[in-house]
Amino acid sequence: MSILPTSRRARSATGAGGAGGPAPMRLAPREGEVIDRKRSVEFRWNGTPYTGHPGDTIVSALAAAGERVFSRSYKYHRPRGVLTASYLDPGAMVQVGDEPNVRAAHRLVAAGMDVRSQNTWPSLRYDVKAVNGLVERFLATGFYYKTFIKPEPLWPLYEKVLRTFVHAGEIPPDSAPGCYDQRYAHPDVVVAGGGPAGMAAAVAAARAGATVMLVEEEHQLGGHLRFGGPAERARLRELAAAVAAQPGIEVLTDAVVEARYDDNWIPIVARSLPGIDERLIKARAGTLVVAPGLVERPYVFAGNDLPGVMLSTAARRLINLYAVRPGHRAVVLTANPEGDAAVADLESAGVEVAAVVDARRGETVTAAHGRHGVRAVELGDGRRVEADLLVTAVGWTAPTSLLNQSGDQPVYDPRAARFRPDPARMPDDVLAAGGIAGDGDLDQLVAHADAVGREAARRAGAAGGAGAGSAVAVPSLAVDEHPELFSAGTGGFVDLSEDVSAKDITTAVAEGYDSVELAKRYTTATMGPTQGKLETVNTVAILAAATGRSIAETGTTTWRPMYAPITLGALAGRPHQPVRYSPMQPWHERHGAVPLVAGQWIRPEHYGDPAAEVTAVRTGVGIIDVTPIGKLDLQGPDVAKLLELLYVNKWQKLGIGRVRYGVMCAEDGVVLDDGVTGRLGEQHYLMSTTSSGAATVWEWVENWLQTAHPDWRVHVTPVTTAYASINIAGPRSRDLLARLTTDVDLSAEAFGYMNVRTGTVAGIADCVLWRIGFTGELSYEIHVPASYGLHVWQRLLDAGADLGVRPFGVEAQRVLRLEKGHAIVGQDTDGLTQAFSAGVDELIKLDKPDFLGKPELVWQHQRGTHPRLVGLQPLDGSIVPPEASQILDRAGGIAGRVTSSRMSPTLGRAIGLAQLDPELAVVGTHVTVRLPDGSDVTAEVTERVHVDPQGERQRV
Amino acid sequence: MMLLPCPWCGPRHAGEFRFHGAAGTRPDPATTTPEQWRRYLYVHDNPRGWQTESWYHSAGCRRFLTVERNTLTHEVRSARDTQLDAAPNAAEDAR
Amino acid sequence: MSEETVPLARSPIATDPTVVVAGWEVCARVSTAPLTLSDETPLAKVLVRAPFGGAARDALGVSFGRTARVGLGTAGEVLLVGSAPGEWLALGAPGTAAAIRAALEERLAGTGEFVSVLDLTHGRALVRLHGAAAPVVLAGVCGIDLADHVTPDGTALRTSVAAVVTDLVRDDDGGVRSYLLHCERSSGQYLVDALRDAGSPSGLEVTGFRGLVPSSA
Repeated sequence: MSILPTSRRARSATGAGGAGGPAPMRLAPREGEVIDRKRSVEFRWNGTPYTGHPGDTIVSALAAAGERVFSRSYKYHRPRGVLTASYLDPGAMVQVGDEPNVRAAHRLVAAGMDVRSQNTWPSLRYDVKAVNGLVERFLATGFYYKTFIKPEPLWPLYEKVLRTFVHAGEIPPDSAPGCYDQRYAHPDVVVAGGGPAGMAAAVAAARAGATVMLVEEEHQLGGHLRFGGPAERARLRELAAAVAAQPGIEVLTDAVVEARYDDNWIPIVARSLPGIDERLIKARAGTLVVAPGLVERPYVFAGNDLPGVMLSTAARRLINLYAVRPGHRAVVLTANPEGDAAVADLESAGVEVAAVVDARRGETVTAAHGRHGVRAVELGDGRRVEADLLVTAVGWTAPTSLLNQSGDQPVYDPRAARFRPDPARMPDDVLAAGGIAGDGDLDQLVAHADAVGREAARRAGAAGGAGAGSAVAVPSLAVDEHPELFSAGTGGFVDLSEDVSAKDITTAVAEGYDSVELAKRYTTATMGPTQGKLETVNTVAILAAATGRSIAETGTTTWRPMYAPITLGALAGRPHQPVRYSPMQPWHERHGAVPLVAGQWIRPEHYGDPAAEVTAVRTGVGIIDVTPIGKLDLQGPDVAKLLELLYVNKWQKLGIGRVRYGVMCAEDGVVLDDGVTGRLGEQHYLMSTTSSGAATVWEWVENWLQTAHPDWRVHVTPVTTAYASINIAGPRSRDLLARLTTDVDLSAEAFGYMNVRTGTVAGIADCVLWRIGFTGELSYEIHVPASYGLHVWQRLLDAGADLGVRPFGVEAQRVLRLEKGHAIVGQDTDGLTQAFSAGVDELIKLDKPDFLGKPELVWQHQRGTHPRLVGLQPLDGSIVPPEASQILDRAGGIAGRVTSSRMSPTLGRAIGLAQLDPELAVVGTHVTVRLPDGSDVTAEVTERVHVDPQGERQRV
Repeated sequence: MMLLPCPWCGPRHAGEFRFHGAAGTRPDPATTTPEQWRRYLYVHDNPRGWQTESWYHSAGCRRFLTVERNTLTHEVRSARDTQLDAAPNAAEDAR
Repeated sequence: MSEETVPLARSPIATDPTVVVAGWEVCARVSTAPLTLSDETPLAKVLVRAPFGGAARDALGVSFGRTARVGLGTAGEVLLVGSAPGEWLALGAPGTAAAIRAALEERLAGTGEFVSVLDLTHGRALVRLHGAAAPVVLAGVCGIDLADHVTPDGTALRTSVAAVVTDLVRDDDGGVRSYLLHCERSSGQYLVDALRDAGSPSGLEVTGFRGLVPSSA
């Protein structure tokens, strides 16, 4: 009898599974099937049209059509078919449209889907790269450490070649952006797993008053009940009805609990939601119930990766959920009742069961033979049976990852041949239910889960306060014996996703990588998309055998988030990137301001001609929007003490209406921030900070008040954005401002340099007017209640039209202050610049008993070896060295760097500031500046102030 | 992420806070040596177990809190308002 | 833009079409949708700093985390919010900030405690999210449990909303869920954009300035 798969003949004859053609492996309607035969879904697989039904997965529809090969493996490009018929199936990763790495045994077919195999050339059937089965010795375990190393100049070629062999999909560059979403949730109980235990626990918890989130990876609730017999299906209907009828349960299907972080911070990725690709639910749960069931384990033997070798649960899923016959003639290796049940299901599906190999009687399978699929199976007794299907049922793995993440350390039970949770190490807010906790018949598992659900609700404090009432008595579950079956010892693959063979594990041990953590990293076993759920126990077993240790002694690797691979889109969710705008922003936008991103702020960099803006300020009047400047309102009897502590200079004698410039340092003497502070009243001051330092300084001030001087009475209120701040600068600034203010005497005698007044501007009361420097011209900085900022800005421009007023931006301001030698904290200073290197020597009052950073400044001053902030002018005034250009010492080493550098429109030449070692920091010295292109220019060290050195223009 | 039991706001996600390190005693600036000062700045204990540390509830009440946390288990056994603890009368404003 | 004879106050939240109410340029739209977002920035906002518990706190009559409607005589009725330890915010009708300030200073003068009163009207962007589905909208941008038993009507708290530090005040209106949210002014536009993005699947609509809801008689 020929067991040649009929698919090839059928397809060529009738286009089976293609549009309109019959699907040769589809069975007659069965109870419990999840497909809707009344409707059809048409899709394409590698360009060929196929038809499925709603409810089919991509794999089930293709399998119904007789397809058996869905992918080529990672390294060796071996043909792969169905192994698990579930989300975890390693041979079923495909490209759907522009989405790579889709789990084809989980993704439902949809009309018009364009499905393609990944990284196969020229086709899935005849993949040329499979030739690397012949060059296996070059791709043996750890090959990236051993081969493709020398000669080094060939690395770019190696990379190019290796990259083309990587088993992954494609993301086309013109792919439309996905739509992702996020949501916070606060359920009392999260139940991870919607099988019988999960459903029972959810219902019990909700009945006890808890809000419950029931999360299931498949598209329906039910777990293994879905593909069980009539008794299981009946129980499924009962439990599903109970869930539906019970208020307080939010059911999420096609969703995964991805991790458990401290205090039950639980991310859940939900798919199949209308209008969005994925939603990330960030849940803070009272209690987590882990009920993922058990994952069937593959058996390791020669040929175990051939299409046609599958788990008993795969065969039962295909038959009972999708009405698909998995093959024609089967050998079944069974070690448990589920395997026995699979034999019955196969027979009911018309599969000829040629041999039942019972591992409980010591029988075994040693090899599967075939090239593109199984053709014959070799048994332990030497018999060779012709078959196109080999079904194995050799054991169960507990997917304990969420428990591990909760701090548990599951223990291997050799009697049960699986790991089990250690109740002693579980935190109070995590419980386990279902197969992962123990065995039993359905009644026992459901009763156990019911008690767990009630206890979970109680611990979450549902309806009555945390821990109300006495603990629920949770019955214990027995644990069934199961033979330990991991490897036949005849070779084969341990990790199908990573193409790691049993031999690779023993090779790793021979090379010295004999601990489980080392062996994992060296071989990459368990590092694939299934993350060890199918591989870890077999890997550990083979490792244990190779090192002469027990599985318990060998242990497992550490399970970390995420439980299932997660997309970057889901993690990003809705991008939340705050943006801050000044009240004058609408005007800036309408008048051609070039936006500058400064931290979270959008500011005008210039309005088209920054050099002209500079000139306007020097010769007439300009206005700049400086709203982002930090402003702190300080009130209380102890403000002066606070200022004395924070700043390097003295503040006790600052009179009302006076303003002083201050520099503050951190305790290491490094310059933290600078700004002017003015005294508005007896106990009322207004401090300004740099715009980027506003938040930092506020926290800094609060820290010193709350933790170091709790008895000082100071109230600090940020008013950075309560005021729109406008700096009016230039020889005509007084004229302009005078036109708009009536209740403040702006004359030089009444309102001198470094003073502050309050008054009305352009009809707006409660403005603060400062007469301060920075640009070096006569200037006034007005702080206007922010809601009127746009009004005042517009009035200034209207009132000053005949004075030639124009707006200027951040760039012009940078040039203006550079012409005056003003340092900018964070640009002319960095994270190591202590105050004596910031050009503010006169400000630092070391005779003060204490201020923040004083000890370090005393020592800096004593050492005297610190860099100085100097002015710099290239001899060739047309060359503007880029900022951060290095300055060389005589020996060619680094003596400093250019910190600020611009072309000065006022002087018509390049000017700058630099940090420079003291030996060279003498006015008149010529230094060498190394430009980024490697060339050198000579520059002269000058005074920092390049324009109006006496500073007369700002004191008029 | 762990919950921090802010004494004012109740348990909140740790991301609402900024960690300000283990409390250290500031040496007297008038008499300190460079070694003592730098030890204060840079050399901190790193205990495996309970640590007393300062947290700032930046996205909440904006109070500095003194927290006792176990660096191994993330248990928090106390979280108190630093200023209130140190000068309860000042916060109550004794005349 | 031409000269304004009467200065116009503007919110940081862009809107169109506009109308002028109490000297403020506000949104002219009126929506009857069950879920709405309105810009309440024109409300007067006065900040009080005082010791956490003491005579001043007693004089104010509101503790941290709670709200109350308080009559301030000629300054009118304000919503007094215990927004942080030792910090209260009084919300009142547009244009009444100076009167509220004076009334509060008077009320607190007799305590002899260290007290500051500041006009923060222009320093905060303030919106009202109104409708039964408001918690669903907020669940997209805010990690606070908004269930009734955790944050009942009259709760005041501060947290992170769409990555901006925001004050959240539950102020139900006629039995309908309603929240005031406010943040430092310059982030107002961003906060509204984030709320509208989170609210669009629930049918959130923008509506015009409503003003303070008076306490039920």
